[in-house]
Parts: sequence; structure tokens; C-alpha cells
Amino acid sequence: MLNVLMLGVGQCGNRILDAINKEAFGGGGAAKLAKYYLRPKFPSRVETLAINTAINDLKELRFTTAKDRMHVANLHGVGANRNVGKQAFMDNRDMIMGEIEKRGDFDIAFVITSTSGGTGSSFSPLLINELKRQYRDITVITVAVLPFREEGSLYLQNAAFSMRELMEVDAEGIILADNQYMKRFSGDIASAYDKINSMIAKRLLFLIESLDSEMLSVTDLGDFKTVMNGGLRIGTMGFYQADSNNLSIKDAIENSLKPVNLLYPANVADDAARAMIIIQGSRELLDVDEITKEVERLSASAGHVFKGIVVKKGRPKVLSVFTVASAPELESIYAQAARGMQDEKEKRCRARKQLDDAFAHIEDLEEIY
Amino acid sequence: MRRLIYLQCLAYLLFSILLIQAAHAKEASDNNDEVTFKDFNLNIGDRIDLGDYQMELIEIQSVRDGLVVMRVAKIGGSLDEQRALLLDSPNNFDGGAENGGITITVADIFDEQSAKVRIEYQQSLGTPRKHASERPAPALDKPELSVQKSFERNQMSVGDEVKVTITVKNVGTGQALGIKAEDIPPLPEFSYVAGYPPKIKETLDFGQSDSTVYVMNAVKEGSIRVPAIMVSYTDAKKKAKSNSSEPFNILIRPKSKADLAIKLAGPAPIALDGEGMLNISISNLGTASATRIEADGTVTPADGLQATGLGKSFFEILPGGEVNYSARLSGLKPGNYTIRLKVGYDGGDGSVIQEGTLNVVVLEREYKYQYLLLIIPIAIIIAWMYRRYKEYKY
Repeated sequence: MLNVLMLGVGQCGNRILDAINKEAFGGGGAAKLAKYYLRPKFPSRVETLAINTAINDLKELRFTTAKDRMHVANLHGVGANRNVGKQAFMDNRDMIMGEIEKRGDFDIAFVITSTSGGTGSSFSPLLINELKRQYRDITVITVAVLPFREEGSLYLQNAAFSMRELMEVDAEGIILADNQYMKRFSGDIASAYDKINSMIAKRLLFLIESLDSEMLSVTDLGDFKTVMNGGLRIGTMGFYQADSNNLSIKDAIENSLKPVNLLYPANVADDAARAMIIIQGSRELLDVDEITKEVERLSASAGHVFKGIVVKKGRPKVLSVFTVASAPELESIYAQAARGMQDEKEKRCRARKQLDDAFAHIEDLEEIY
Repeated sequence: MRRLIYLQCLAYLLFSILLIQAAHAKEASDNNDEVTFKDFNLNIGDRIDLGDYQMELIEIQSVRDGLVVMRVAKIGGSLDEQRALLLDSPNNFDGGAENGGITITVADIFDEQSAKVRIEYQQSLGTPRKHASERPAPALDKPELSVQKSFERNQMSVGDEVKVTITVKNVGTGQALGIKAEDIPPLPEFSYVAGYPPKIKETLDFGQSDSTVYVMNAVKEGSIRVPAIMVSYTDAKKKAKSNSSEPFNILIRPKSKADLAIKLAGPAPIALDGEGMLNISISNLGTASATRIEADGTVTPADGLQATGLGKSFFEILPGGEVNYSARLSGLKPGNYTIRLKVGYDGGDGSVIQEGTLNVVVLEREYKYQYLLLIIPIAIIIAWMYRRYKEYKY
């Protein structure tokens, strides 16, 4: 059994973690009551911990137990200031790591964070370093969420610097989710957040369940690490569940890799470095030959593809995890962030100059009373 | 002159004295002719002397008829007469008191031996004097019967037998002959069983008594005036006499019979599968004994309440008496039950059946803490949910 640590850092990470806990209760509206009489049903031993400097963000969680919410006292958040966030982490590092240590040893840790916020973007790189230092054999996967582009230059700036730091730490890889990309799923921002969070939560739980299941065709944590180490060590996940009208496993695999079902805009055929396809469904629906053919076809473009088949009653479900060798969207973000930072800098200079000019009017004058 | 005046006064005085003396002499002469009277109580043989007259009480012939025999004689033999005098009727001798003779009136007759006599006479005859007879009173031959009729008791009930006793006693001084007792008419409220009409000895010497008894049966209720019984007889002189008893009242009540009252004292509601005691009291409120008493009971509905010991027999319950016994009740099924106790007995007027009923409730099974079956799980659930709520409350 895998020992899994899931850390939700910052408001975005907290909410995704809460969505994971909700899914562990069965998801949907029933989970609201189920939490009063059921224990969360995780496929492995999963420990969750929500970390935040803003207590109000912790209070709004509904499916995460109080003991799994950790408030790092720093007034009310870090105000999207990563420097303040880093200082807060360093000031409370022992406490944070002590809280994690209480939860035992882990094989894999998912650090779920937004790249744009204050706490998550500043805490996560430092936290990953601490995890790697404290747990030598642990696999750390960062689940990083990119911001809406219109959220502001500060968030883009944070995302740019945070992503750079996340790339530099000794984690096994980053799974990207792009809010901007997934915004299309819902009309308004609030429901888009909920849907994105739920989507990420389901895919992570599916991944954990699959890695910890007896498989017809085996993939394991090692394979997953290998996949995440491929390319830029940046990957994403696709998911598809066959509908009752089309139970073809081939179509399900193909659909799981289509951009519409990915968390981050990528072209598998052009960008994928390594991939893992995990298929779950009733035995009679799982045609191994067909799966093998489809995987082989994918391997031709994506390099190495691991496949795992889990026999479980139900319509075929396919989770695809792949790392990319190029990330044009990231470049776009960095360019946008740089522009924003430049604009910010210029505005600040202009403002400073205007202020200096204003002060110049009274430069030789004294206060008279 | 003075002497003349004195003489004149003395003459007036002497004249006055003479006038007074003359008036006095005239008055005395008038008084001697006046009729007066005097009463005497005489026994037989007593005599009154007045002047030349001698008056003797010879006999009280009849007290009832007011006849007294007296003898009046005059010294010298010019008058010697024995006459029966009627009570309160003046009898003149020698022309009566108005004409210088005497008048005798019997004022009262005390008994067979004495009477009160009034003598009227002119004062000139002198003062009458009584001479008591020195002869012993002759032994009288005067029977007198007292008669008494009595009932055994003055109150009885229809159907009761009663004895009537007639007692006749000769309380007189002579022999009573030809005694006849007439106890009539027969009373319609009674049927005469034996001894009627009553028979008494025909002859009773003085001091003797006789009695007879007859038996009747009361047949009709009511208050009855029992008429007097009359006894008639004659004395030795064949003089007819009679006497009666005093009438009196008796009460004949309705026929006495037993009246049993049944009282059932039940337990408080019986718990299911529980037991209780039923106390039965049968008391005789009537005036006759109840005999051959048979008590038996039924329970409706028949199943659900078991009663043991309801049936019982008693030989007799005296008037005012009471018998008590108990029956055991077992509640087998919840519900309302009626226990009907029938008591048959002979109440003196044939067989009678009395009934008594009692309602008994057998309670539903009490689930004392049944509510806990609901409350405890709810409390556990609430506690569990609260605990979970606290787990998630931050």
C-alpha cells in the first residue's frame, strides 16, 4: 500500500485538497452529509494537510478535518508577496515540518499549489526542498495551477518566478493545470474553480488508486517517476470515461489525450516526452490487443508509454499522464509576465518622477507656523 | 228630772231587750221546720237513727244497675218497710222530708258492700246518728272474671305462625259458672291453624284461672286492631256477668325473605401476566335466612382473564350475616373484562338469583424504557455527528 501525503498549500491548494477529501466521501452533494457518518475512503493510506497563512481560507474548507488544517500565523495571508511568504515559511518551518512528520513516512507526496498566489507560490518550493531533505526516498510531485491571465500582473509575476523555483527544486516533476485553459468548462469563475478543483481531485485519486492496485498490466510508482522525469519534467493529465454509446477502449484512450480532456494545453503528438496510460474498466470491455495497439501507436510519437490496466467493473476510464518536451504556453505566460512587470516598473518610475517633481515645489521651503 | 230621764232610758232599754227576745223566739221556731240533709257512707248492716226513724243498709243488689236495698222502720211499729232504692233517685218515707217524714237518696254505690246515702229531714227531728253494724260482713258470693288475650309477639311477618293465649282468672269471691269466651269475629288477616275457637273451663272457683292457646298464621300484611275477647258467666244466684279484655294493635309485616347483596371488590388494573385478588362479599340484607347458596362466576370475554375460585357454596347466611371469599385473577391478554357473579339461593320464598358485576382491566404490556430504543440511537447519531462536526469545524 502506498503511503501518500497530499499537501494543499495556499488558497488554491487548500481548495483542491478539500475537493480531494470531498471525492473521498463519494463526491457530489451526498458528500456534504457523508462526512458526518463516513470516513473518507482513499484508495491508499492518504494523509492530507492544508497549509495557509490566511485563516479565513482554511475556514472555508468543508471536507478537510480541522486537524488537517494548519494555519501558519502571519497576520492574514502574505498579500501575494512571495518574499513575505518565504519569510513566513522559514519562520515556521519547524512547525510545518513537525506537523507533517506527525503523519508518518510517505512514498509519495503531492504538493498542490497555485503558482500565482502568495502563500502557495512562496511556500511550495521551500516545502519541497524540506520534504526531500527530511524524507530521502520520497517522490514529490508538484501539482501547480497556472492563473487566469487576466487576474493581474502580480499574479503572473508570481507564477513566473514560482514556476522557475519549482523547476529548480529536486522534485520528481510538475503536473500543470491551467485555470485559463479550463475556464472554458464553465461560464462563471466560481463554478469554473469548483469544476477545475473537482477535475484535478478525481484524476489524482484515480492515479493513486491505479498505482496501488493489482493490475492486469502493471505500472507502478517507479514507472510514474520515470514518466515525470521525462522531458521538461513538466506534465499534465488527461482523463476520459467512455459513455454508454461508445464503449470502445481505443476511442477512450484517444479521447483521454485530446486537448479538451487535458488540464493544460498540450499536443501529445508533438510535445509529449513520456506518457503513462492507465485504463480501468470491466474485463469484457478491455481488449488488451486493442490497448496494446493504441499504446504502440502513441509510443511512435510520444517516445515511451507505460500502460497499466486495472480490471474494475464499469465503463472504461482512461487516465493519461505525460510529460512534455516543450511548453509553448509557459513561454507565453513568461512573456506576458515580463511585459506586466516591465509595465509595472515603468508606472512606478513615472509615479516616482511625478512625486519627485511635486516635492520639488517645496524643496527650498520651510514650514511656517 | 234627772231621775225621770234615767227611768225613761231604762224603760227604752227594757223594751228593746224584749223586742230582741221576741224576734229570736220567732226565728227559732222557723228553724225547727226547715229541711236539711246529711250524707253517710254505709256498709251493709250499718244503721242511721233519726228521731224515731231507723234506716239500715240491707244489700247492694246491683252495682251495675245502681240498686240498693234499705230497710226503714219507726219506733212504735208505725213504719217498717224494706225497699230497693235506685241510684240518684229520692225515696220518700212518711210523706218525705217536706212533710215531716224522711227522704233517702242513694248517692253512690262503692261496691257490693258499701254505698253513700243522703238523708233529708226536718231539723225538728233532731240529728241523725250512724250506728255501725256489729255483725261480721257476710261472705259474698260474687265471682269476677278477668280475661286477657295476648299474642306471642306484636310484630310478625306474613307467613309467620303466632300463638294467641287467652287467660281467664276468677278474681272475685264466688264461683263463676257457665263461663263462655267469645273471641269473635275471626280475623281475616290470619288463617286459623289450631285451637280456635278457644275453650275455657265452664266453672272457675274464686282464685282459679284457666287459659287456652290457639295458633294462627299471618296471611296479610298491615296494622291490625285485635278486638277484645268477652267472657260471660253467672254467679251462684244465676246472675249473668261478663268482662272483656282490652283491644290492642299488632303489626303484620310483609313476608320475611332473604335478600343477598353481592359486593365485588376488584384489584387495580392488572398488569399483563400479573395477578390480582378479587374479594367477594355476600351479605344478607333481608329478614330471613338465605340457604343453599351457590355462587358461580363468568368472565367475558372468556379468554384473556383467568379467574380461579369464583365458585363457592354456603349452607346458610343469617339475616344481617355476611360471607367473604376471594378469587384469584390472572391477566393473560390486555383488554377490558367483565366478571359476572351469579348467586343462587333459597330466600324463603323460593329460589332467587342475584348478580354482581365488576369490570377489570388488564393493562397493555408496559415497555418502560422502550423510548430509549429510539432515543439512544438518535443520541449516538447526534453525538457522532457532533463529533464529526467538531472534527471539521475549524
